[in-house]
Amino acid sequence: MSDTIITVKNLNTYFYTNQRCNRALNGVSLEIKRGKTLCVVGESGCGKSVTASSIMQLLPKLCRIEQGEIIYHSEDRGDIAIQDLERNGKVMRSLRGKDIAMIFQDPMTALNPVYTIGWQISEMIRAHEKISKKEARLRAIDLLKSMGIPNPEKRVDEYPHQFSGGMRQRAMIAMAMSCNPKVLIADEPTTALDVTVQAQIFKLMDELKENYNTAIMLITHDMGVVCELADDVVVMYMGNIIESGSAQELLGNPQHPYTQALLKSIPMLGKGANQNLNPIKGSTPDPLNRTKGCQFAPRCDKRTEKCDEIMPEEQLVGKTHMVRCNLFCSDMKGVN
Amino acid sequence: MFKYIIKKIIGMIPMLIIITFLIYLLLEMTPGDAVSRMMDPEAIARLSEQELTAIRELYGLNDPFIIRYFKWLFQIMQGNFGTSITSGVPVSTIIGRALPATIELAIAALFISTFLGSVLGVLGAIRKGTMTDNLLTFAGMIGVSIPQFFFGMVCILIFSLNLEWLPVGGRTDPSVVNFFDRIQYLVLPSLVLGITMTAGVMRYARSSMLDTMNKEYIRTARSKGIPEWRVNLVHGFRVSLTPVIVLVGFRLPTLIAGSVVIESIFQWPGIGNTFSSAIRASNYNLVMMIALIFVFMVLFASTFVDIITALLDPRVKLEK
Repeated sequence: MSDTIITVKNLNTYFYTNQRCNRALNGVSLEIKRGKTLCVVGESGCGKSVTASSIMQLLPKLCRIEQGEIIYHSEDRGDIAIQDLERNGKVMRSLRGKDIAMIFQDPMTALNPVYTIGWQISEMIRAHEKISKKEARLRAIDLLKSMGIPNPEKRVDEYPHQFSGGMRQRAMIAMAMSCNPKVLIADEPTTALDVTVQAQIFKLMDELKENYNTAIMLITHDMGVVCELADDVVVMYMGNIIESGSAQELLGNPQHPYTQALLKSIPMLGKGANQNLNPIKGSTPDPLNRTKGCQFAPRCDKRTEKCDEIMPEEQLVGKTHMVRCNLFCSDMKGVN
Repeated sequence: MFKYIIKKIIGMIPMLIIITFLIYLLLEMTPGDAVSRMMDPEAIARLSEQELTAIRELYGLNDPFIIRYFKWLFQIMQGNFGTSITSGVPVSTIIGRALPATIELAIAALFISTFLGSVLGVLGAIRKGTMTDNLLTFAGMIGVSIPQFFFGMVCILIFSLNLEWLPVGGRTDPSVVNFFDRIQYLVLPSLVLGITMTAGVMRYARSSMLDTMNKEYIRTARSKGIPEWRVNLVHGFRVSLTPVIVLVGFRLPTLIAGSVVIESIFQWPGIGNTFSSAIRASNYNLVMMIALIFVFMVLFASTFVDIITALLDPRVKLEK
């Protein structure tokens, strides 16, 4: 059994709107390892969520996987090529929730307002296991209890609007964990919550990883969270992975100008209001109107003429440390 | 829940009293009084002022307006609705005869429009952008804009006169004929009465469903691995149902108002038909009582909608 549970290779996912094509992902390759946390970071619109949705096949209708592969290395069913599965077909549905579960960004809207929390968790369990409603409800109570929700016997019959934001997200995690999935994809799970609750949620996720050997793909743009939780980190920009590696390599020794800029732009707590903020210049370019060479070139401090012409290839600079920047490419290795 | 329903029903009472007052006031403001309506104008002209006062005294017409109103209200509450001016038959008998027919028609139309409307609307939403959806949208436009009396006459022309599938109009005596014989009389009027509402419900259900299907909890539902029909019906349709029911409730008065026209066209012996002939005959006792029944139906419908909404949407119960 290999360490890797999901391999994404050269993934291209395109959106089609108004007869234009938005190439949201341009050849993304990454690996999610069993029992490890992979953090995906990047600005809004860089393709983090699209990567996650591609893995779950939860893309919008006008969006499709154009090229590349997503392989799920199942323990008992062998390798499954997710990109070839029918979107809401039987095989894909058997993976969703059971093998790969997902937590969404906004717990306020991610739960159905007209059903009780217990009902929604039970539905998930009963979709994959043949158990009675009563047993499913008891399982839901246990799950809520393990998520630290007080008085779960009563809470299980309450509706989402009776829960606070943090509790809803915990209920959401309880639901996602209800079938003991092998992979948990968390798409910015704490963006909508306040900081104290964030810490609790992340602690919970870390415990799940330890106790059940669940692989976690955590999408975030909070570098602090990355430092705390990540085993591996992937930095995305405009639909490409521009740097990846273990958390130690990447955060201790960032190589790509974008990663460096990203880390530098974080304000330090305690330094006061007079500290110099170093935001990255400019803003994310229009994905429908891309530059020819390196996508980050227009905003890069270290750009050279070559950068305008050539999109650099992936280049290993450490054991697992990959960077995609012309500064590290020997001549003529880049591709258009 | 029980408390909520009781509260809603009690809340109806002051509303009803205010409306009866307004109706009574409107009637008071029309020229002439009961005596001038009951008697031949020539006969009145021949009577002396004292005789007229005596007659008015007999009927209690010389009391101040407010006192007369409360006397009338008291009578109504005791179930004494007076008699029809033209025939002398008690109003309660006339209404008792006509009301079941109207309720039958309204329930049939309500059922058709709610059921057909929401099913077609959801179908259009699930098949958005396809031929089915376009056809339904087109049909919906026609349904909303076609006048009911016109549609009714076209239906009679096609289905009754040309194809001879269904009777032209009327209603058989419910005690004599079996259900299937009766239903052929019901088909056309209820369909015509329900057409506007069906189209309205359909368009509303479609947009409500489309709105719901874009919500994040639909993606959550898909992420659970449940079948697509469950995502559509259990999660999508269930949530989009609430605004549709509210719309149906608000449109209920149009069913009641529409019954006046439809019942005349199809000679349906209901309240609407009675109402239009009572107006033509200046049969004020009857008009007054039927108007009151219409008002009561509208009030009742809106209370009913409130209760249904509370049952369907758990968030409503919070407002105690």
